[in-house]
Amino acid sequence: MERREALNRVALLLGGAFSGPTLLALERWEGKMPLQEADFSLSSLEQALLAELSEMIIPRTDTPGAKDAGVPAFIEMMLKDCYYPREQAVFTRGLQNLTKQGFLQKSAEQKKEILLQLQQDNKPLMKAYSEEMASRGNPIFVPDRPVLPFWRLLKELTLLGYFTSEQGIKASFEYHPTPGKFQATKLKPGQKFIVY
Amino acid sequence: MSNLNIEAKKRRSYDAIVIGSGMSGGWAAKELTGAGLRTLVLERGREVKHVEDYPTAMQQPWELPHRGQTPTALTKDNPVVSKCYAYGEATSQFFVKDAEHPYVQEKPFDWIRGYQTGGKSLLWARQTQRWSEFDFEGPARDGFAVDWPIRYSDLAPWYSYVERFAGISGNLDGLPQLPDGEFLPPHQLNCVEQHFSDAMKKAYAGARPMIIGRCAHITQPQPIHLEQGRSKCANRTLCERGCPLGGYFSANASTLPWAAKTGKMTLRPHSVVHSIIYDEQKQKAVGVRIIDANTKQMEEFYAKIIFLNASALNSNLVLLNSTSNRFPNGLGNDNGLLGKFIAFHNYRAGINAEYEGFLDKTTAGNRPNSGYIPRFRNVFKQETDFLRGYASGFGAYRGKYEDQSGWGADLKANLLNSKHNPVWNVGSHMMGETIPKESNYVALDKNQRDPWGIPQLRISVDYDQNDVAMTKDFFEQLTEMYEKAGFRNIRTYDSNRTPGLDIHEMGGARMGKDPKTSLLNGWNQLHHCKNVFVTDGACMTSTATQNPSLTYMALTARAADYAIKELKKRNL
Repeated sequence: MERREALNRVALLLGGAFSGPTLLALERWEGKMPLQEADFSLSSLEQALLAELSEMIIPRTDTPGAKDAGVPAFIEMMLKDCYYPREQAVFTRGLQNLTKQGFLQKSAEQKKEILLQLQQDNKPLMKAYSEEMASRGNPIFVPDRPVLPFWRLLKELTLLGYFTSEQGIKASFEYHPTPGKFQATKLKPGQKFIVY
Repeated sequence: MSNLNIEAKKRRSYDAIVIGSGMSGGWAAKELTGAGLRTLVLERGREVKHVEDYPTAMQQPWELPHRGQTPTALTKDNPVVSKCYAYGEATSQFFVKDAEHPYVQEKPFDWIRGYQTGGKSLLWARQTQRWSEFDFEGPARDGFAVDWPIRYSDLAPWYSYVERFAGISGNLDGLPQLPDGEFLPPHQLNCVEQHFSDAMKKAYAGARPMIIGRCAHITQPQPIHLEQGRSKCANRTLCERGCPLGGYFSANASTLPWAAKTGKMTLRPHSVVHSIIYDEQKQKAVGVRIIDANTKQMEEFYAKIIFLNASALNSNLVLLNSTSNRFPNGLGNDNGLLGKFIAFHNYRAGINAEYEGFLDKTTAGNRPNSGYIPRFRNVFKQETDFLRGYASGFGAYRGKYEDQSGWGADLKANLLNSKHNPVWNVGSHMMGETIPKESNYVALDKNQRDPWGIPQLRISVDYDQNDVAMTKDFFEQLTEMYEKAGFRNIRTYDSNRTPGLDIHEMGGARMGKDPKTSLLNGWNQLHHCKNVFVTDGACMTSTATQNPSLTYMALTARAADYAIKELKKRNL
């Protein structure tokens, strides 16, 4: 199986949650992007905000949450090491906007309101992003590809971090790193998904 | 004093020298040491020992710092190798660092290299199809390149020989255009792949078969594999990290340890070959000059025969740089054709679609293999306005989706409540034969040198109109085939990718009957320097459509057998 196909499968497994840029980071497809030295870091306030946001997306329930799985630190490290300055800037701006609104000091109900608004605002941005992707053929392979909106970037990095963590994988799936087989199988109702 | 020199020279003398320790060099080492020859194997990179030097082989997803994604710093520093599909956080240790090994791209060419013992045999795609009679007859029939000096019947027993040792899985399909081999049990096609195979049988009356790929994975170990310390492939599909089970064939897991066991092999890593030493009086090669990669000192080693297996383009470089009064333009290069007629495989096109059948089924487990459509264009006779044709992969898989809206406990629950897609996804990629041309060449750059003082290789290789016409035909034919199988939402794409990324570059020192138009004879000997054998991709007269490694292995074993016999007859 081609690595590309394998990655697409991972993406599908995670609900097709990866966008072009994340898949691009996964594949480093062309290596043609003009790069600047990344000097990305979050302040302790931004780190606390990121931790709160990722835990809201994947909270601790009867299984571990994003914080248990080390997702906040993972996101910061990934942005620094595997993303480009334009994407980092969008992410930082997103955090700053929430800081301005005093997000961390809000009540649970108010936080929910803000995220609903964020989700609402994300829709036209994603639509524009998708349209630009479509209109330009295959833009994840060119240097000036469209930049993902903040909410989407936050969400997919949270899911990636969680579902590739030991806590996340083991709590969520039957994990078979050495499958030993390839065979046709009949689906049973409600069958738990197996990952390899 | 002269006695001391003689002693020193003796210490540096072997029966045979093998340049390169990868796919074909490993085979040369195994065959030559197996015949009792004291053999020096020169490797320009570091030593990578089976299992112990596979640091990521057993790592879980969460043990890789970036979970398998590649940091931008690596991508930035390695703009060429990082394009390779197999490159990533878990495998980058087996690729060169681009900046350390410069070359000149007269035309864009992605030269993918792995400098370590085992070379790219750690990283290959492991597809192993035999060439057929129609492939060897191609140049003569269609009037390009030169006639191959050998035919399928010359190589068939050697295919069998290397297949039994390497461990090749496949199905006995009985196809004249893709001969059967010594197969271990085949992998299964899944239900949609089988449906496509059946539909093709019906639509084209057997003219366009789709079969399970033949690949170098041990699906049922035989005593010869257990003796190598290798075991059954566990379908981890993490192959490019190095396989701790030896489940797939690599020089590291198979030929090199086998050669080492004879006690006849001396493996010298960090040895960048500068040139082959030609003795004007003896009228043959007498040894090899290397630059020690660590000390940067030049050293010489001597032997009766030399096998050149440095990888296709590097073998060209070594020959071009092996100049003498007798061979001012490179060893054996009287006709000036050395470095020319480079060809590759056209992998730029792909197609994918959806299928709405078998929705009560999926697959369990992994499979390090896929379906394969052997070349069906211009096989038995010329039938299109372009020359030759293409093979294609074929794969089908069932994806999943979830409701991913919102956040919180609901999202978490929804993500774990996946549904299977209401379709299967199917796809194929093109593997096209390209026509070797004099205008596609490599040469030594006149000015720029690499860090060891050796001229850099200048590469000038490009597509031509035949490739464009063939790509168009791939889109048309595969679309038709997909339609006949009932696939929907058919999409084609042309990645326009640069030559080289196929990692199937071949030629430059091609085999042929006539010393005026070829560099090597039918035994892979340089026409004009018979004790030098070139048995890697450099020797290829044409490219066919098959993944080439199996053919390099068979050619190497055959040439080594010949060299051993000639040595015994004192002809070398």
